[in-house]
Amino acid sequence: MEFLAGNLAPFIASAEKGEEHVGFVGILTYAIFVLIVIFCLMAYAKKGMNLRVFKNPILNCFEQLYLFIEKMCVGTIGSHGRKYVSILMTFWMVIFASNVCSLFFPAAPTADVGFNLGMALIAIGYVQYEGIKTNGFFGHLRHFGGPNLGNVLLAILINPLIFLIEIVSEVLKNVSLSLRLYGNIEGGHLAASAMNKLGEGIYVPFGAFLIPIKLLTCVVQALIFTLLLSVYISLVTHHDEPEVDHESADEKERWESGKIAEAMIH
Amino acid sequence: MSESHHETKSGPFELIFNNLPVRTVLGLVLMFGGSYVSKNYQEVFEQISHQYGVPVDLGKTVATFGVFLIIFPLVNIFFIKPLADAIGERNSTLEQTFGEAEDLKVQMQKMRSEYEARLVETEADARQKIEAQIKEAQALRQTLMSEAAQRADELVARATQEIEAERNRVLTSIRTQVVDLALSAAEKVIAENMNTERNRKLVEDFISQVEVAR
Amino acid sequence: MNAIGIGIAVLGIAIGLGLIGFSAMQGMSRQPEAIGKMQTAMLIGMAFIEVVMLLLTFVILGSVTK
Repeated sequence: MEFLAGNLAPFIASAEKGEEHVGFVGILTYAIFVLIVIFCLMAYAKKGMNLRVFKNPILNCFEQLYLFIEKMCVGTIGSHGRKYVSILMTFWMVIFASNVCSLFFPAAPTADVGFNLGMALIAIGYVQYEGIKTNGFFGHLRHFGGPNLGNVLLAILINPLIFLIEIVSEVLKNVSLSLRLYGNIEGGHLAASAMNKLGEGIYVPFGAFLIPIKLLTCVVQALIFTLLLSVYISLVTHHDEPEVDHESADEKERWESGKIAEAMIH
Repeated sequence: MSESHHETKSGPFELIFNNLPVRTVLGLVLMFGGSYVSKNYQEVFEQISHQYGVPVDLGKTVATFGVFLIIFPLVNIFFIKPLADAIGERNSTLEQTFGEAEDLKVQMQKMRSEYEARLVETEADARQKIEAQIKEAQALRQTLMSEAAQRADELVARATQEIEAERNRVLTSIRTQVVDLALSAAEKVIAENMNTERNRKLVEDFISQVEVAR
Repeated sequence: MNAIGIGIAVLGIAIGLGLIGFSAMQGMSRQPEAIGKMQTAMLIGMAFIEVVMLLLTFVILGSVTK
């Protein structure tokens, strides 16, 4: 970390407490930096959008991401999952961009618990909102109560317990979502700095060799956040299953036509 | 389960979250509120992070709400909706193009078979024409040749006639000359020999001999 | 002592992750058509186990050592 910090002094100037953690202004700076990068890429990708075949490489990446997330949504949530693509894709892009930012800069938005907790709260709050929208307020509460056990005595004894556990798990979803992201990114930093310490005597930054693994972590963490969010959404909104097959067939068709387009490019 | 049914159900919530200006203002308020929280409750957060080893700062969390409240609709309107539209449109145009290409292929096949049929027809036609031409030419040659032969025969016949006539003329002239010569010779003979009877007989014998010798 | 404790905990977590990976690999090799679904389930399971380790390293260990 030190060798990076020495070269990138202007970026750490916003870090208020040095090594321990970056302050509010620092995180805001990095978040704005990440968002500017994302918006620049999107503005660049918008250029080739009206062509018959997408030739813009950035746009191709975005298209693959879109198709992947659409497939994931339709696969886990069901036929009505296509309207969640935008929120999941936004999360994916922000998390991935800030993870990559954490590879090259001493701090990043996702390497901070506050930012991650904010994202997790938004995600879980959105899940509750969708649940209430789909099932109604009391329907959503009943969903917490677990299955209908039939026996009145059992219902009085066990369903409040399940309700309590569900509420706790709902709270812990936030913690696990945020802490997973923070732990993976910050853990990568800690591992890199520990390995740097190993090579301090001979001036070899061993930690830099961890970058491929950290890049994999970046992708996997962005994927897991969106995947878990889609699973949570599917848990609260799952209904009318028969449509799924038709949708997946449609999806397959679209996938195939995408492949044909790819073949046409080459 | 229709969508509009649910949207009408939770009215005030929708009013706040689907209205872009309200959302932006709320996001900005949350961001500044986050900075306020972060500044004023620093010690509490530091205590918590010291106690649990996780540097948590709830001001950042509040500000994150604001940031995401603003960027969700922004990203959606700015990029994801056009991208989805473009992908859908591209797929539909591709399907359309493939259909058109299929149609064109069928059309081409048809045109090709038509063309081939026409080609065969034309070839047969041309062969027929050539044959007819050749036949005509042969007939013409035949007639020309026969005419030429006829003419040649005519010419030969006329030439033979002319030759015959000339010879006859020459023969008669020669005969008269021979007679004259003979007469002059006979005059000479008569001058010597008066036996005319016998002489004339001799002369005539001679002439007939000449005629025979011719 | 803390190091030994975290070592034992990480051993258990590693065994759990390995079991998930093992069974997912086996399932994928038996049924290659279902790779996508299995990968999803495997990643979710791994994420849930991983969070135990992260809680251990960051929260519990942090609060114990201080």
